[in-house]
Amino acid sequence: MTMPQHLALSARGVRMEFRNRTGNESSGQTLVALEDVDLDVPDGAFVSLLGPSGCGKSTFLKIVNGLIRQTAGEIQLHRVAKGREDAMVFQDAALFPWYSVTDNVAYGLVCAGVPRKEARKRAQPYIELVGLTGFEDRYPYQLSGGMQQRANLARALAVDAAILLMDEPFAALDAQTRELMQAELLRIWNAARKTVLFVTHQIDEAVFLSDRVVVMARRPGRIIADITIELPRPRALEVKRTQRFVEYEDQIWRLIAGDVRNAATENADG
Amino acid sequence: MASRFALPSLTPVARVRGVMGERLFYGLIGLVAVVVVWEATARMGLYKQSLMSLPSSILRVAIEDTTNGSIWPHIWVSAQEFALGFAAALVVGIPLGLAIGIFRRVDYTVNGLLAGLNATPNVALIPLIILMFGLGLEAKAVIVFLSAFFAIVVTTFTGVQATARRHLEITRSFGGSPWLAFRSVVLPSTLPFIISGLRIGAGRALVGVVSAEILSANVGLGHYIALKAQFLDTARAMFGIILFGLFGLFIGEGIRAVERRFEAWRPELH
Repeated sequence: MTMPQHLALSARGVRMEFRNRTGNESSGQTLVALEDVDLDVPDGAFVSLLGPSGCGKSTFLKIVNGLIRQTAGEIQLHRVAKGREDAMVFQDAALFPWYSVTDNVAYGLVCAGVPRKEARKRAQPYIELVGLTGFEDRYPYQLSGGMQQRANLARALAVDAAILLMDEPFAALDAQTRELMQAELLRIWNAARKTVLFVTHQIDEAVFLSDRVVVMARRPGRIIADITIELPRPRALEVKRTQRFVEYEDQIWRLIAGDVRNAATENADG
Repeated sequence: MASRFALPSLTPVARVRGVMGERLFYGLIGLVAVVVVWEATARMGLYKQSLMSLPSSILRVAIEDTTNGSIWPHIWVSAQEFALGFAAALVVGIPLGLAIGIFRRVDYTVNGLLAGLNATPNVALIPLIILMFGLGLEAKAVIVFLSAFFAIVVTTFTGVQATARRHLEITRSFGGSPWLAFRSVVLPSTLPFIISGLRIGAGRALVGVVSAEILSANVGLGHYIALKAQFLDTARAMFGIILFGLFGLFIGEGIRAVERRFEAWRPELH
């Protein structure tokens, strides 16, 4: 199977099952985390996966990244001449506390076999791009949460992958920093010209950032809507107060509200 | 020195120097206070001087035995026993602890043996070890080894198992090899545990040196203490004990230096 040239990612019929570990082999329940997920992400697009906790959005990202293997279905990534096809931006605690900013940003390259010295040199422009100039020798504990996520982003950018996979990268930040980082991400995305697959449970974040918001539901995890966001770019934070923006938020909220309530009561139970 | 490793904004170089001066200052205050109270209570006749001696008499015999050179062979022999046994405990204990932490089967294989060894009081082994290795350096080194070894193994493998899964996931996510994960993740996150193991192990090793020398030796600080006490020369017995204390202090400072060299990335607690 080949995929069209203009696609960065193509997923077909992706299914993921987890066996409930509390039961034994025969009585153990099988939990369907993802069911028949089809998704195409065009080159250069910013696509968000949005859904309530437990809808399998992070699982899907890990499958694309190769951290876990799907039960069934196929994932194709745009082949690149050298380096990795994809790079992950993790949610939190994702920097090595024993490495300086430069060594953390260079780490993806080191994983790809680039000698440390050269990797550090190649990391420098990305440190500048994410606005961490002057903090190269700092350790993570000396950085704010927002700065840590900038470094986390720079590490993924530095390997020059075709697609960036971002797993709720701003979830642990306070509300104001999160807003600022959203705007920063758009600036960086514009400068780096990357394809982004962004996982979030925040509706406003997804609408603000994305060309498309792919809405997921839980039990089993599946795609229920694919909404194209036709807000003009470049977008500034002010766009969040426009009528059009609020309509998108409303539309998405209505799609997931029931699921969110179910998830909340389940969490309260157990 | 400090500036080469860490430049925490919280603890600028000037403050680090200040802290080091402060440490020494308060350390000396504590020491002087004990010495003054000791000397004063003895002179007031609160206890028999022949049992506890006096700081001033200890100082006198200390000067005597160092200038006539009679103390040096004892110090030298004890130091050799310690160094040999402790080095062996490091060389065997750290790799074994790492292997237990990383490979489940190594854990299962040696777990019972180690637990048994740990439950056996080392003092109980001393007569047997002397039988096997004689009265010389080797027997003492073996005792030191056994005393320090267990603490080092246990702290090391506990450290490996405390490695954050998220950190291991990062290496895998960027396609790094298991060997890279070991070097860049497992080792640095285990290091604080290893250093704790060194501290505990060094303390036990010193106990090992004294016990072995008191039980059977014709040279060494433990022998010196036992011999002088037998002849009611409490000033010299006390001098021997103080030398052990200094020895412990010296080793503790050595470990501190190692810690500072490798753990610039950790914030100072006070």
